[in-house]
Amino acid sequence: MTNTVGLIAGLMLLFALVLYTFWPGKEANDLREKTRLDYLLERKEQLGENLRDLEFEFRAGKYPEADFAAQRGRLEREMTELAVEIERLRQA
Amino acid sequence: MAAFGSFSLLIALALAAYNLLAGGLALTLLATGRPARISPERLAESARRAGIAGFAAVTASAAALLWAVFANDFSIAYILEHSNRALPGAYKFAALWSGQEGSLLLWAWLLGIYGLILRLRRKSDARLYAYAGTILAGVQAFFLAVLNFAAPPFALVSGAIPDDGNGLNPLLQYPEMVIHPPLLYLGYVGFSIPFAFALGALMMRDPGERWIKITRSWTLVTWLFLTAGIFLGMHWAYAVLGWGGYWSWDPVENSSVMPWLTGTAFLHSVTMQERRGMMKSWNVWLIFSTFLLTLLGTLLTRGGLVSSVHAFAASPLGTWFTVFMGIVLAVCIFTYIYQRGQLKSEHHLESMASRESSFLFSNWVLMTACFVILWGTLFPVISEYTEGAKITVGPRFYNSVEVPIGLFLLFLAGVGPLLPWRAHSLGAVRKNFILPAVAMVVAAIVSIALGANPWKSDGFDSGSFYALVAFALAAALLTGIAGEFWRGARVLARKERSNLFTGLWLLTRRNTRRYGGYIVHIGVALAIVGLAGAAFNRSEERELALHDRIAIGPYTLVCDGFTEDSNLNYNSEYAVLNVYRNGKPLLQMTPEKRFYLASGQPQTMVAIHSTLEWDLYAVYEGANPDTGRPIIKVFLNPLVGWIWFGMAVMALGALIALVPNQSQIASVVTAASEEELNHESSDQGGLR
Repeated sequence: MTNTVGLIAGLMLLFALVLYTFWPGKEANDLREKTRLDYLLERKEQLGENLRDLEFEFRAGKYPEADFAAQRGRLEREMTELAVEIERLRQA
Repeated sequence: MAAFGSFSLLIALALAAYNLLAGGLALTLLATGRPARISPERLAESARRAGIAGFAAVTASAAALLWAVFANDFSIAYILEHSNRALPGAYKFAALWSGQEGSLLLWAWLLGIYGLILRLRRKSDARLYAYAGTILAGVQAFFLAVLNFAAPPFALVSGAIPDDGNGLNPLLQYPEMVIHPPLLYLGYVGFSIPFAFALGALMMRDPGERWIKITRSWTLVTWLFLTAGIFLGMHWAYAVLGWGGYWSWDPVENSSVMPWLTGTAFLHSVTMQERRGMMKSWNVWLIFSTFLLTLLGTLLTRGGLVSSVHAFAASPLGTWFTVFMGIVLAVCIFTYIYQRGQLKSEHHLESMASRESSFLFSNWVLMTACFVILWGTLFPVISEYTEGAKITVGPRFYNSVEVPIGLFLLFLAGVGPLLPWRAHSLGAVRKNFILPAVAMVVAAIVSIALGANPWKSDGFDSGSFYALVAFALAAALLTGIAGEFWRGARVLARKERSNLFTGLWLLTRRNTRRYGGYIVHIGVALAIVGLAGAAFNRSEERELALHDRIAIGPYTLVCDGFTEDSNLNYNSEYAVLNVYRNGKPLLQMTPEKRFYLASGQPQTMVAIHSTLEWDLYAVYEGANPDTGRPIIKVFLNPLVGWIWFGMAVMALGALIALVPNQSQIASVVTAASEEELNHESSDQGGLR
């Protein structure tokens, strides 16, 4: 490949890539900031995972009954508070 | 081709710069809400597309360099220096990373691949992906600027074009070298992605919870590549360098292991953030440090800051990397100070006997290990400033500190999985420690009986002692993890009314991350057993006449010949050794020394017979110039095969951890939570 052919190939590549970059498309991303509701839903998902893990570890014999009940109660309280706030935000 | 390759690189740089500027502007407009002529979404989309287009441009450039290698285009200085006509096809690929300019191009190309994946996966958390894509464009722009202005791979030869090239470095003419560097680079380069996500999340006002999951997955992918790359590098050193070992604490080896240590620490501490909302600042800085350590490693390699068999000669690239590191550090510090309010811990450590505390300890220990290596690696530079002379610290320093640290980590890796989260008492789990403790004692007794006795007649042998501790702790860890699998599988088998094996399968499938992680721990234990075997290495060296023999362990090697061979690429000398085990013929070994014609450099090709018990390792050290007889060195290296097997198990565990949990889990989560909220007494297992 001579220098001239190389440069022509390079210019064609440039043209194609610029065209791709600035070609008007329909897919404008949703770049809005996360809302409080988004945050709470993510948190709820994480709490659900924690709750499942806790119960499984209890069944696998890692917690005494009292420890398990206390931790489960704490997670459930947090979950309830989340659910109430989620509901309130959804209705608003 | 040179013109096309150079032009493509220039296009790639322009696109990366546009991605950075347009993306940055779009995100600033969105954050401030300032009105603009063009919609920020449109601007961000064009920035994203520029990132994708940039990948195409770098690919075109890398393809041009490969084309030039295969076409033997010696008008390009890089091809002249790193290839020749007789070089086999597979090694022509290796020419891409055999020199500074080519390996930087490989770096930019791999960064382009990662960037492409990132920019295509933006359906959810589009804003976070936009931040990460823009930050990554900054990293890409740096590497492309280096390639365009400081280390151009398509520079032309001045004067007459030689008919043949100088050939590939003989050290790289080994099958593993076709895959080891790309894997290592995938690991190194890959840490840019978690860095981009972590910095992006910190820049966002409210990144939510998901960014930490995304960052963790990307870190695990890149950790897997880096682990495989490091172990393949060890295997290459073992099979090619001919000194019987696999790790010499060379600065470049150290550079690869430092980000591995901080990345490993992050993979553990990130769980605390997900589960307990703890260690947020620590995690962010672990990711920043990991990325900075990859840059430092590159600075050491490219800048000629320290001496290494891997390092390229001193070059102006050192300044580029130093400046870039400074900029990255400044941006990290500024963003952290500005946004640290969102990194407050939600909980505190409640008990020392908990999973959290084991994660915390392992983090401290991993960071200590990293700091010791960093100190040892930079000591020549520090001593040059303070003492006026470069003082290098050797393997003795590293081994004396890192071996006890490694053993403590093995202990923590064994204890951690047995502990529950937030536990206040050890009462419930005490019984889980009984079997591992028994296994530890039994392993210690068996090891001593088999010869790993540190209390010898001529004094105390610390090497044997550490090996003994390693064997005992590894046995405890393996038993503890087997117990974890057994307990979990039993719960599921009971719930599903199936057998234990089905329970085991379901268990792993339903919590791939945890049980994949446990498999990684098994791999670590196996690898450490293999590393501990080095305490019992033996070697014999002898000049051999025809039918002379060397005995080592149960093996006897008889010299059956000494011959020469040649092809277009190299001439070789090798010895033919018939190996007998306990008097019975076993195999033939042909350790070899090659002399590469194009480069005029010699290369050792070790002959290895590997078993689970030990490696028989034969090196042809050359012919005695006076007698013409071959000098053969034979090593008997116990348990080396366990290192490579351990690595394979670690890779398997990491792959399992990357597989999403069974879909049923995800769909059950919400239902289970609702169920709990309604205070219905559920009799169903946690992992349904």
